[in-house]
Order: sequence, then structure tokens, then C-alpha cells
Amino acid sequence: MLLRYIARRLVLVVPVALGVTLLAFFSIHLVPGDPARTFLGDRATPQTVAALHRAWGLDHPIPVQYWLFMDRLFHGNLGQSLYYQSSVAGLIISRLPVTLLLLAYAAAGAVLISVPLALAAARRPDGIADQAVRAVGIVGIGMPSFWVGTILIIVLALHAGLFPVAGYGSSLPGHLWSLVLPGLTVAISIAPMLVRSLRTAMIDALNSDYVAFARAKGAGGTAVLLRYGLRNASISAVSILGINIGFLVGGTLVIENVFALPGLGSLMVQSVLDRDFPVVQGITLIFAVIVVLVYLLTDVAYALLDPRVRLG
Amino acid sequence: MKRTLTSALAAGALSVAVAACGSSGTSPSTSSTSTAGAPQRGGTLIFARSADILSLDPTQITDNESIWASENIFEPLFASAPNGKTLVPWLATSYTLSPNHLVWTFHLRHGVRFATGAPLTSADVKFSIERVSAKATNPFAFIDAAIKSITTPDKYTVVITTKYPWAPLLADVALFANGILPANYGGESEAQFFAHPYGTGPFRVQQWVKGSQLVLVRNPYYWQKGKPYLSKVIFTDVPNDNTRSLQLQGGQAQIDEFPPFSAISQLQHTSGIKVDIFPSSRTDFLEFNEAHKPFQDVHVRRAISYALNRKAMIQAVLFGHGTPANSIISPALWGYDPSSPGIQYNLAAAKREMAQSSVPHGFSTTLLVGSGVTNEESLAQIIQAELKPLGIKVTLRPVDPNTEYTEIQNGQYDMAFNYDTTDIIDPDELISFSAMGGTTGQKTRALFTNYNNPQVDRWAEQAERTFSLSARKALYDKIQTQVANDAVMGYLYYSPFVYAVSTKVHGFTVYPTGNYHLENVWLSH
Amino acid sequence: MSAPSLELPAIAPAARTAARHRRVPPSLIAGAIILGLIVAAAIAAPLITSYNPDQQDLSHVLAGPSAQHWLGTDQLGRDVWSRLVYGARTDLQVAFIAVLSPFALGSLLGVLAGYFGGWLDGVIMRLADVVVAFPFYVLVILLVFVLGPGTRSIYIAITVVSWVSYARIVRGETQVAREQEYVLSARIAGLGRTRIILRHILPNVITQAIVFAMSDIVLDILAIVTLGYLGLGIPPPTPDWGSMMASGQEFLTTHWELATIPGIAVVITGLGLSLLGDGLADVLRVE
Repeated sequence: MLLRYIARRLVLVVPVALGVTLLAFFSIHLVPGDPARTFLGDRATPQTVAALHRAWGLDHPIPVQYWLFMDRLFHGNLGQSLYYQSSVAGLIISRLPVTLLLLAYAAAGAVLISVPLALAAARRPDGIADQAVRAVGIVGIGMPSFWVGTILIIVLALHAGLFPVAGYGSSLPGHLWSLVLPGLTVAISIAPMLVRSLRTAMIDALNSDYVAFARAKGAGGTAVLLRYGLRNASISAVSILGINIGFLVGGTLVIENVFALPGLGSLMVQSVLDRDFPVVQGITLIFAVIVVLVYLLTDVAYALLDPRVRLG
Repeated sequence: MKRTLTSALAAGALSVAVAACGSSGTSPSTSSTSTAGAPQRGGTLIFARSADILSLDPTQITDNESIWASENIFEPLFASAPNGKTLVPWLATSYTLSPNHLVWTFHLRHGVRFATGAPLTSADVKFSIERVSAKATNPFAFIDAAIKSITTPDKYTVVITTKYPWAPLLADVALFANGILPANYGGESEAQFFAHPYGTGPFRVQQWVKGSQLVLVRNPYYWQKGKPYLSKVIFTDVPNDNTRSLQLQGGQAQIDEFPPFSAISQLQHTSGIKVDIFPSSRTDFLEFNEAHKPFQDVHVRRAISYALNRKAMIQAVLFGHGTPANSIISPALWGYDPSSPGIQYNLAAAKREMAQSSVPHGFSTTLLVGSGVTNEESLAQIIQAELKPLGIKVTLRPVDPNTEYTEIQNGQYDMAFNYDTTDIIDPDELISFSAMGGTTGQKTRALFTNYNNPQVDRWAEQAERTFSLSARKALYDKIQTQVANDAVMGYLYYSPFVYAVSTKVHGFTVYPTGNYHLENVWLSH
Repeated sequence: MSAPSLELPAIAPAARTAARHRRVPPSLIAGAIILGLIVAAAIAAPLITSYNPDQQDLSHVLAGPSAQHWLGTDQLGRDVWSRLVYGARTDLQVAFIAVLSPFALGSLLGVLAGYFGGWLDGVIMRLADVVVAFPFYVLVILLVFVLGPGTRSIYIAITVVSWVSYARIVRGETQVAREQEYVLSARIAGLGRTRIILRHILPNVITQAIVFAMSDIVLDILAIVTLGYLGLGIPPPTPDWGSMMASGQEFLTTHWELATIPGIAVVITGLGLSLLGDGLADVLRVE
């Protein structure tokens, strides 16, 4: 049953992936601007520009370039970066772990922040704790993430000296420590949403019939809250984080810039600015694959967690 | 703006005093070699930079970060002196020029070794220089265009024959692109070699994580005895200005490349930090597209130039750390003519010029602005306001920097911001690109302004074939005067290279071309 | 925005809250007051500011607060308070328009998908999947680049990316509404499909979309501000909070108020809108 569901979903990934490559390819190629001219700067003599266009395959009409791109893709080749002159796949592989770790930190951080807050709020709806949590959430929604990040740097890194100001560090412990502030920043950006829906889910669970039944049988408040509220909340958390993977991944673009992290997001922004087409196409594809896979995993996890869901 | 104290000795090895703009008394931002005592050995210098290193192949790089890093790995035959005005022997100790000015014979320094211990020979020089123009896509192929052939009569002699008499050759040879690699990549494949490149320079690559950092370790065979002092140099890629500055203040970096001008004053008053300000070869200007009306009219161009209050711009954008520009060539280069009549602020004169022009009542036009480039955005708004009194209505046209380049180069602009620097210390490169019309060889329609003055072209070509320094200077002076009077561009200002540096760092000097010799840098512990 | 979606598949146990007695929720009032003040300030801008927001004074840059300049001046000597107030005009306008278009487009597509089902539903949902597979900023940046910087590009980019949430919400609601009594009886009565959709289904399913739109405006303001930070926002010299924060970045360690004050304005506006949205949701949920 489950396997058939997964198989069906995977099949649907194909047209989506195709659509993604089309959109990614044509949008970056429709952008005005010439990577050869930026590469050469003010020393861009017409001869060298023409030579670069030929070398980079940019002198073919765009549909032909798309064909060449897809052809390379089917042979597992993501192409060469125009600026770095090394393989796109290599660049992506070296920078992917940073972004994935950042996302993991963000998800973990979001859960760690949101669950206790939601619990405190759900215990007594409309009580003081609840009002406070909702107030904080509402204020939090309006805070731009790069602004939050910079403030965290100034307060926790510069003045308190607890964390490195930016960068990725040079050893595994250094890496893990450097990702705390960026992870926290991304977590803060999604926490308000997460708190809100966790709270709703927990309140709904607590108001449901089986909880009333459990209470009637004498189960204590906290035990009930933890057992049923948490279970329901975890379903919501998985769902919310999963659905918003696109938002989280997009957030890395900005945060990696603020914290100087060598991840896919900062490479993406730089490559768009430089018109490094192969890199932009490659990263867009990878992002799309991550997002689609996470959606699939979310649905599967949801189905496993909530027995009432029919995988129809 | 203070200038570097120049010392005529320029033996090429020791860098001399470093200037710094400091308000009297507060921070010890003085010459880094003065009171520090003898250089101490060892230590790791962390150099936080504003952009990533794209490649370390000298024949493929065009971006500053890659260039300045590669210059500490690969060295040329001759190098520029710290004052940027002369050349000093480097991997070559001397040269002779044939009477017909076509044959340059270079004598290599003995005892120079690559970081592997292999000795430098003429074969390495021939291999490296020929690589520069080997492919049509090589960005600096034009700099060696005059070279006809290179021969190596013996291990320590290199003979370069040019196609025609070419005065700038020595300066061309000193370009970073002509840095010397081991012949045939020292036995490795090209790809293998550039994964861990090495040269005769003070450092070699230990580890390179693109987008993150480049780790250099000292070359134990370096030919300047006793140098480099540092054991390691780490170039990190930190695009965010505030982050770099905070890293410096937090001790995670010892050099912060290009802090924003607005932060200079605060950094100077931070203990443990000094701000070093070095003259650069950079000239910022407003360029006019003479193929678009009414910019073909010299009176319009002169009027606009007169209306620009450069001092106000320097104050607003450079926070006072700059000087108004009067020539396309910067004062840091030889060839600069201090009396070049580059137009300065004079509103009355501006109105007079407008009255004499083809559009005395003003006109509407557009100004191309790089979005997100704060300086350009600020300047654009200042210029918009300053041209109003002339009846010139300026609409700002923001585009992203990449598109900006393309549109300027394709002539799709009316007015645009641009700047120029030089990669060699000879005025030839700068003048060819910025003053000469046409597009043959190394020309770009006078930096895409479509200015075309055959008299200027003749003077420039003559300067390329003349070997008397004074004669060349006279020609370049004539060119500067002509171009300034023609108001080809509205020169804005000369801005310096600014580095915020820990007070533990000594010997750090930046040359007008922007590069630095890290073999002279040492850290006090 | 394909940004934070609150949508849960309709499986969670529906809460049967005790019917509240009908009173206007305090959040609605608070939100309306806050937003009202900001909108009023924006409209009355010329009355409450004494400088033109573009007026430069290069001899008084980066001045602190004073009697002449309540919030000081920025790096070109412009009055910060004036730029803040006129910036409210720009940003509220842009955000409001930026939310209408995806709202309209998304709701329309959602209702069509939900009502007709079948291949139309399949196509629309696959399109949604493709759009959503792109992280928000990736697509927006690409689109703004293609179209060139400027407000028109921002509208188009946000529309292309945000319609999905509305479509999904409205589609879900439509699928439920389709089976309701009043729709079935309308169909039996022979009413045309268009009429059913427009007059019976749409008014009932649109409320959730409206509620979502309130929080979407906040996210749009954030998006515009973030685009400004990346250098792709509303082009100068139009004052807007995003570009104020972007140009204030340079002065973060020396004059942090330049980047912070507009940020606070964003937060307060977001607060007002969120409260309003919450209150609206409360009111609309009870029925």
C-alpha cells in the first residue's frame, strides 16, 4: 500500500522535474546581461568576448542550448562553471553539506523553540501565557531575517563573544559551532508560524473526545497534555516544516550571505549576479530535488504518524 | 588624502612606510615598520576579503581577489616598485635592449627555486609567458600581443623579440598574468597542477575550499633570504562588510579588506586596530555616450562636468577620503599630469557652456545605475539634483551590475558610472582602453563612450614606439589635456584602497595596482 | 507566497469549540487601530513632515535626532522621519497591490480546480508543484532579474510565486463546498455552472483566502524589504523601508539606528496586519 503510494508519487516527480528545468533554464537565459562581458570587465575587447561566447557555447540559439543542457544532464553532467572553471557538480557537492546542516539546525531550532512555547500556550487557551506567546509570535512574524541575523551577531558574537562572528570555521567542531547563530536566525523566522499551528493542533487535541475520556478516567493534566497534545503536535510540526521546506531553503540564500557561509544559497546569489548559467541551473535543479523529496518524505511520515490518513 | 611616503631606493625587496589617515594622536596608525622593531617569524595571517577567489591560473583571471592572491604564488621577471612609478628587477636581474628596440634580453636571477625545490630556468619563463596568449579566450592575451617570439639561449637567459618597437614591454612583462609557472606544470597535468598550484613566490597553496578560504603556507625555498616571515596566510571569503569588520574587531581576522568608508573613523578609534589608506590607480567617472544625443556636443559634456560638485560627492560617498579627479590617470601613476585641465566644479561656467550648446534650455536623459551598488545609488541621486539647475532632467535607470556592464559595453546608455584602474604601471594600457577610438587590438571605443579623436590615437601610438621617458611623458600629457578639454568623461574622484588592519600586523603595503607582497608582512605576538 | 503555509490537510480532528457569544475580538480592534494609525500617517504625510524625503543636505549628513530632524538624517542628509513616513506610503501601496494579484489569480485557479476536478485539477496542481519546488527567493530573484528592477517586476514575481497557497486553500474549500446541500440543490435546479461558481461557491470559500491574505501582506512586506537588502527592491530615490535598511547596513556598527528604525516600522506594521488578520479569522470562523 505504502510502496504503491511512494511509487505513484515518484512517477509524478518526473513532469515536475522537467518543468523545473525548463523554468530554471529559460528564466536565467532570458535575463539581460552577458557573463562574458562581466568576466572581462572593462578589458572586454570584441574579439575576446566573441571567443568566450564560442567557448562557453553561448553562440547557439537558446533552444539549442537547452537541448545541449538536457543532453548533458541525462549523461549525469551538470556542466562547467563559467567563472570557476571547474565542474558544477563538484562545486555543488562541496557546498551542499553546509546548506543541509544549516537546514537541519533550523528545523531542530524551530522545534526546540516552538514546542515549549506552544505547550505553554495550549495549557490554558486565552490565559496569560497564551497571550504572551501569541504576542511574541505576532511581533516575530514581521521581523526581516537578515535584520534578526545582524542583531544576533552584534549581541551574541561581538559583545558577548560566545560565537564566531561569521564564517564556517575550519574543523568539524568549528563548523558545528558556527552554524548555531545562522540556524537560530532561520529558526526564528519560521517559529511564529510553527508555534501558531502547534498551538492550534494541541488545543484541538486537548478538546477532542478521547482526551475528555482520558481525563474522565482520572489522567492528570500534564500527562494528558504531553501524551495527546505532543502526538498531535508532532504531526503538525512534521507537516508544517515539510510544507515550508521551500521557504526554509529560500531563507538560506539571505542568511548564508549575512553569515558568510559557503553554502548553495550564497553560491546561487553570486552566480545569478555573475550570470554563471551552468551553476544557476545546477543549483536550481538540486534545490527542486531537495524540496520535492522533502514533500514526499513529509507525506509518507504524515501517513505513518496519523493512521487516519488514507493514502488515496 | 595622505600619500605613501615614497623612497626612491625601491630595491624591490623591502617595502617602505605605509601611510594612514589618522586624526592626530588617537590611534597609532603610522608607518608599520617604524617603532615595531625587528620582524618576528611565524604566525598565521587571516585576511578577510570581500569576494571569492575564482581561479589561480594567472592567464585566466580578471577579478582582483584572484589576481592579488596569485601574485603571492607566482612572480614575474620585473615587478613594480612600491610607489607604483617604476619597475624593479625581480626574477630577472637585468635586461638589455637591442639598438633597433626589437630584442629584449633578460638575465635571470640565480638561486631562485620553486616551492618544490626545483630551480627556475629560462624554459619555465618561456612556457609561462607563451601560455598567456595561447588561447583566444584568454582575457589578458592582449597584453602580450606585441611579442613575436621567445627564445632561451641558455638556462638563465630569455630573449623576447617583439613585432614592432614596443616601449611598454617591460611593464607588460611585469603583469601578474606573466607570472612564472614551472614548465609543463612540473610534470603534473594542468588540472592537477592548478588544484595545488605553486610557483617561485613566497607562498604555496596548502588547501583551497572555494567559497570559503584559501590556505597558503610558506615556500621554504623562497629566494629572498629570511622571507616570508609568516608561516601561513589564509584568505577568507566574507562578502558582508559588517561581518568582516566584526571579525577584525573580534580577532578572527587580522586584515579587513575594504571596510566601508563610513566606518573608517570608527575603526580608527578602536583600540588594536589601525586603518591603512593607500593611493590607488582608480579613477571614478561619469561617462557619456557620444552616440546618443546630445552627448556628441562637447559643450553639453563640459557643462555637466562643470556642474558636478566633486567635493560634496567625496564627502558623501568617501567620507572625505578621496580627491577630485582631473585626469583619467591617477596621481599614483607615472604619466599623471598634475596640470591636466580636468574640469572642476563651477556652476557659472556650467551655465555658460549650456548657453553655447545645442540644447541651451536643457534636455531629458537617463543615468544608468547599478542597483544595490550603494556608492552609485548615492552618487546618482546627488548628480540628479546637481544637474537640475541646468535644466537637465535625469531619470535614474537602475539595473543589476551584470546588466550594467553589458549595457555600457553595448552602448545602450546615455550616462553611466564607470571606473578604471590599471594592471600595469605603464599608462599605455589605461590610455589604449580609455582614450583611443575604434575596436582593433586592445581598444574599446574609448571605454565605450564612442569618443574618436584621431589626433589622440596618433599620440598614443607614438608613445608606444618611443623609448625616451621624457618624450613619452610629453605625449601622455598632451593626451590628458586633450581628453580633459573634450570632457570625454566627467572625472569624479580618486579613491584610495582602504584596509583595516590589526596593530599586530607590520609591513603590509598595498601598491597602486592593488596588489601586496605578503613576504614583507609579519605579526607581532 | 509559497512561504509559510498554515494549511494542514483536513484530517486533524475538527474542534468543536463552544459557541462564543458574538463580540468583536480585541485583536481585531487593536489591529485596526495600529494599522489605521499607520495608514493615516501615510496619507497625511505632507502634513506631519517638514521635509521632502528626497531633499539632500550634504553638509548635515548622519546627524542625530534634533529639533529640526526628529529622527536625524541619513548619509545624504535627508530627514529620516520624512523618509519613514513617505516610505510607509510606498510600502503599503506596493504590498497591498502585490497581494491582490496572487489572491485573485490563485483563488480563481483554486475554485476551477476544486469544482471541476479531473484533468484541469491535475494540470493546475502540477503547475503549483513546479512553482513550489522553487525556493521562494530563487524564483523571485530570477524573475526580478529577467524583468529588470522596479515595482512592476516585484508585482509579477510575487504573483507568479504566491498564487499557489491561495489556489490550494480555495481548492480545498471548494471541494468541500461542492458537496454541500445548497450547491447540490442549485445544480438540480439547473443553474449554470458559472453562476453556481460565482454566486454560490466563491463567496463561501473566499473567506479563508481573505484571512490568509492578511498574513500574506506581512510576508510580502518582508519580501520587498529583503529584495531591497539584496539590491533588487524598489529603485531609488523613492523612499521605502527596504532600501533604507539596505543602505543603512553600511552604518550598522556606527549609526545602527538607520537600519533599525525602518525595521521597527516593518515589525509594527506587521503587528497591526497580523492582529487584524487574527481578529478577522476569529470573526469568520465562528460562522
